[in-house]
Amino acid sequence: MDRNQFIKWIESPGKMAHKYSLHAVYFSTGCGIIEVPPSITARWDAERFGVIPTATPRHANLFLITGYVSLKTLRAIIRTYEQMPEPKFTVGFGSCPINGGMYYDSYNTIKHLDRYMPIDGYIAGCMPRPEAIFIAVTHLWTLIDKDMADGYKRYRKYYAQYRANQERVLGRLEWPPLFPLEKVHEASA
Amino acid sequence: MRILWFILSPLIALAVGLFFLGLARKFLARTQWRYGPPIYQPLIDILRFFTQKSVSHGAVFDLGVILSLAGSFIVVLFLPFGGICPLQSSGGLLVILYMMLLAPLGLALTAGEAANPNSSIGVSRMFTLALGYEVPLLLVVLAVMARYDTISIVEIVAAQREGVSNLATFPLVLAGIAYIMILPALLGLRPFDVMQAPQEISSGPLAELGGRYLALAQLQHAVNMFIVVSLFVNLMWGGSSNVLIFLLKMIAVLLFVLWINASFPRLRIDQAIRYLWRWPTLIAFLGLLLVEVMRK
Amino acid sequence: MKHPLEVRLASVFKDIRTGPGPDGRLAVAAPAESVVPVLTFLKEDGFDFLQLVSCVDWIREDQIEVVYLLSKYVPAGGEAEAGVTGIVLKTRVPRAEPVLATSIHVFPVAEPYEREMHELFGVTFEGHPRLIPLLLEREYKIPPFRKDFDTRKYCEDFFGSVPPVGEKK
Repeated sequence: MDRNQFIKWIESPGKMAHKYSLHAVYFSTGCGIIEVPPSITARWDAERFGVIPTATPRHANLFLITGYVSLKTLRAIIRTYEQMPEPKFTVGFGSCPINGGMYYDSYNTIKHLDRYMPIDGYIAGCMPRPEAIFIAVTHLWTLIDKDMADGYKRYRKYYAQYRANQERVLGRLEWPPLFPLEKVHEASA
Repeated sequence: MRILWFILSPLIALAVGLFFLGLARKFLARTQWRYGPPIYQPLIDILRFFTQKSVSHGAVFDLGVILSLAGSFIVVLFLPFGGICPLQSSGGLLVILYMMLLAPLGLALTAGEAANPNSSIGVSRMFTLALGYEVPLLLVVLAVMARYDTISIVEIVAAQREGVSNLATFPLVLAGIAYIMILPALLGLRPFDVMQAPQEISSGPLAELGGRYLALAQLQHAVNMFIVVSLFVNLMWGGSSNVLIFLLKMIAVLLFVLWINASFPRLRIDQAIRYLWRWPTLIAFLGLLLVEVMRK
Repeated sequence: MKHPLEVRLASVFKDIRTGPGPDGRLAVAAPAESVVPVLTFLKEDGFDFLQLVSCVDWIREDQIEVVYLLSKYVPAGGEAEAGVTGIVLKTRVPRAEPVLATSIHVFPVAEPYEREMHELFGVTFEGHPRLIPLLLEREYKIPPFRKDFDTRKYCEDFFGSVPPVGEKK
């Protein structure tokens, strides 16, 4: 470990710990999940980076949206995302979370995922190769270092707008608001 | 001076346990022909868990995890580690045996309060597995206690030091074999890791633990590894008066168990109980008979 | 040279047409009222496996065609009856009011297929106990699989109307 790293560990151990221990929720969103098992097994070993899949959202701080998001999946994704403890980061894989991708004119998939839940970064491709996944992980490290990976803070700040968008698209939501809506309304108005 | 050892001993157990956790992940990775995380990765994980904002499900939820960690720390005070043993009272082995069950009990309290069906299934499997390995374990410990006519673990370690190369003397060989056969079940490693199966029941009792509580549960897991391996080395491999040699013996036992962990798939809970109550129990019972026969 | 099954069908039902179909199947066209009797007859004749219930939207003729695919299990070691490997049963309903009797009492397996056709094409199956949505989350004014449902326009109007999240300008 060079001296620069050592000082970072002493100054902000929480941030460094979040960098090197990114546990991903093993949620298979769309067709892109096919690229995740190769990257966590022996050939492209993701455990070197500290990235391992976890079974429950309560243990995780990374959420990979690996493909198209249909309306039913969006319901499950939002419930899973809200169960994760903060700080948490989301990464959109492929072109479908960016602008709808291959399903840009489908009546049942959403086009811009950023309007329903906060995303810290996207990886272009259809699907990105495991090497691209690792480059994305190192980019996420840089973002965490510079305090720019603040998706969860945006979710808290603009929660009224996010929830309005979710209700507009999904109809009735069965779960209560995660943050009290009146207080957040004042903050973002 | 004793007070200092009261505080240092659990901390040493924690450090050694965390090292064992990292060693486990590194060993598993290397057997799978990949590199794996650095050895200090469990430290980073636990630090990250502590900085996350967790969700609590009530007072019993908080206290259960603390109870399990406290139970494990108390057991550490009774176990000799090299020459260190803060509580050398005469009832050592019996106290260790029943305090070892505080840890699953605390975890069960937490998981029960979490109201997640996966947690409940995990808790039932955990207690069933405990029922499974307690029977041969008690027979093995009975054999050791009968051999040396004492229930103090320090006296057992001292008596074994006179044996040849500190291995348990001949009448205890059957008990030793039975103990090795149930060691993965005590540690919660494959083929007996059905309690915390991520693919089947979403990590079982740990499913609803996040943030601080998960950090405490991981710490308890680390201390539990230390307790089980050092109990084996004390009872069957003569302990040691030197801390370094004791550590080396522990690492040897741990590597053997990790080798089994890396090679075997997971047994179902009924298969596990059928195995634990058949051959290890039989061999432990024969070992007890052998000790009694050779006593004359 | 007509197949004996065709002869039997023509003798019982007067208002159906039969002919050779794709893949060695027998194609049967029936009016909407005769669908359930024809299915019952074919099931007793040995074709007891309903593979699929599907729809075709003939927008220019202003009709929706409902298609039933039937076949029979070939016993192990035996070979299929020479000539007919399955049945394609087609019927047409008017597009403005697509109503058909349900075939659940003949083939219970048709229940999810009829639900799917109801939500995607708008065909109502009378007598079906649960015509609730199976795959879709939202309600649509025009059922999505019909040919006059402009999917691109729907996406632009609906998903484009969801505002991006951020500071209000």
